[in-house]
Amino acid sequence: MTTHIKDKTLLQANNVSLQYDGNIILRDINFCIKDIIRPGMQQGQVISLIGRSGIGKTQLFKILSGLQQPTGGSVTIHNGQRVQAGDMGVIFQNYYLFEWRTVYQSLLLAAQKNSALKRNETTMIEQYARSFHLEAELKKYPQQLSGGQRQRASIIQQLLKGSDFLLLDEPFSGLDVCVLDNVTDLLLQVSVSDELKTLIIVSHDITTSVAISDTVLIMGNEAGKSGATIKKEIDLVERDLAWKKDIKKEKAFIDTVEEIKACL
Amino acid sequence: MEAIIDKPLEKTAPVAFSFSGFRQIFTPFGKLSRQNVAIMIVLQVLITLLVWHTTSNGLIPKPGNVASAFGKLLTTKLLLDNMLVSLVLTLKAMLYSILITLFFAYASVIPFFKSIAQFIVKCRYLTLTGLIFIFTLLTKDGSALKLSLLVFGIVPFFTTSFLAVILNIDKQEYELCKTLGYNNWQTLYEVIIVGKADQVFEILRQNFAISWLMITMVEGLSMSEGGIGSLLIKYNKYNDLTNVIALQLVIFLIGLCFDFLLGSMRHWLFPHSKLKQATS
Repeated sequence: MTTHIKDKTLLQANNVSLQYDGNIILRDINFCIKDIIRPGMQQGQVISLIGRSGIGKTQLFKILSGLQQPTGGSVTIHNGQRVQAGDMGVIFQNYYLFEWRTVYQSLLLAAQKNSALKRNETTMIEQYARSFHLEAELKKYPQQLSGGQRQRASIIQQLLKGSDFLLLDEPFSGLDVCVLDNVTDLLLQVSVSDELKTLIIVSHDITTSVAISDTVLIMGNEAGKSGATIKKEIDLVERDLAWKKDIKKEKAFIDTVEEIKACL
Repeated sequence: MEAIIDKPLEKTAPVAFSFSGFRQIFTPFGKLSRQNVAIMIVLQVLITLLVWHTTSNGLIPKPGNVASAFGKLLTTKLLLDNMLVSLVLTLKAMLYSILITLFFAYASVIPFFKSIAQFIVKCRYLTLTGLIFIFTLLTKDGSALKLSLLVFGIVPFFTTSFLAVILNIDKQEYELCKTLGYNNWQTLYEVIIVGKADQVFEILRQNFAISWLMITMVEGLSMSEGGIGSLLIKYNKYNDLTNVIALQLVIFLIGLCFDFLLGSMRHWLFPHSKLKQATS
């Protein structure tokens, strides 16, 4: 197993529940994300939240991002502060950007919200645009971008905002095989950009999500109980399945994917 | 990391004329080349003129007579003077109306103003004719009366259109603002004021016809100042149908010019609106 230490708590979900008109959507959601430290390396965390379509993943996504308040329980970050809208970087499924702003203007709006970038906004935008191969697109409007370009612009926007957390809703949805590899590389690149950088990927694409994660949270329903909850948490680091290239070919990985499927 | 190189789709449309393509004019969702569209429009106009020419009797003037009257009207100072009066009044009314509309539409996201904005929307059911006397008492002269009646008539339509724009805003626009850490005032500024600025021109364009329609009515209330409306009433009074239709043609063409002008201004000031139109 790769040497690592699990240090301070970065995010904690405590008994989170959600009801609509008396219908229980989510119940007893409990999990904790800790800072994983690998000696001699700077690396963030990648957590996958996996569940069937319609199970309530998007609702949990919105609660984690602070866009929706839970009916019960709480989500706290860092030193126990309740999560609020704006605390987390959020990348929506369709990579939404302001249609009336050019890519540069959108990125500038986000950079201006980050006090750490004061007076260096333009430099940072150019730096990110270079790293994400978007220099030629800075003056374009979102309607002029391809899906991949929108996704990268959306990620840069949230990175410039400076949040440690990045929530991604179905980032692999509708991507072809070639683009899928590029997107996973991109996410890994983001995750290693800072020790505290934490990516939470909400997806129903088990294989792709698990391949780049260090922790998997499985959402599902339990017999006789209404509302979805976290049925199982799998520590991929302990199983020696994290931070490896070509992990998809390993038997242990295939077995883990089967285990997750059985759990859904 | 490798770059994801994928280009946006480009729309292509047939350009050249073809007889097989022309058959599509009667096909649902048929696509025509530019040449075919031009030919179709010319044919439609010719058929209309032919029907008009053959069906018009002694009372209804023939297209040739209207064209001749139209040509004469264009060379007279009378038309220019009256047209200027009407245009100035319309533009003034549009300016005041849009300012009032924008204030109440932007403020409609604040609960106190929401009900007021909704009341203004309902005011479109009120008829101006029933309010003329009240407005006469409230205004000092004919000019102010016409302006206030026009503004009162236009504002409910402008507000209805702009509130519809605000109500149809994608929830993700607000959510993106929240994720970027915007407060409610910043969200109002970004999503509604900046984000929907192009729609102001679209609403002006769509509702210009309403103000143009009303002007002929309100100008009849105070004819001493002139205007296209009063000119139209005079021609109608003497059953000068040839000039009435010629004047209608002038009104129609001015409307088309404004339509084009406001549409072009929108695309020029807000380039994204053109892209949105192209991709929708």
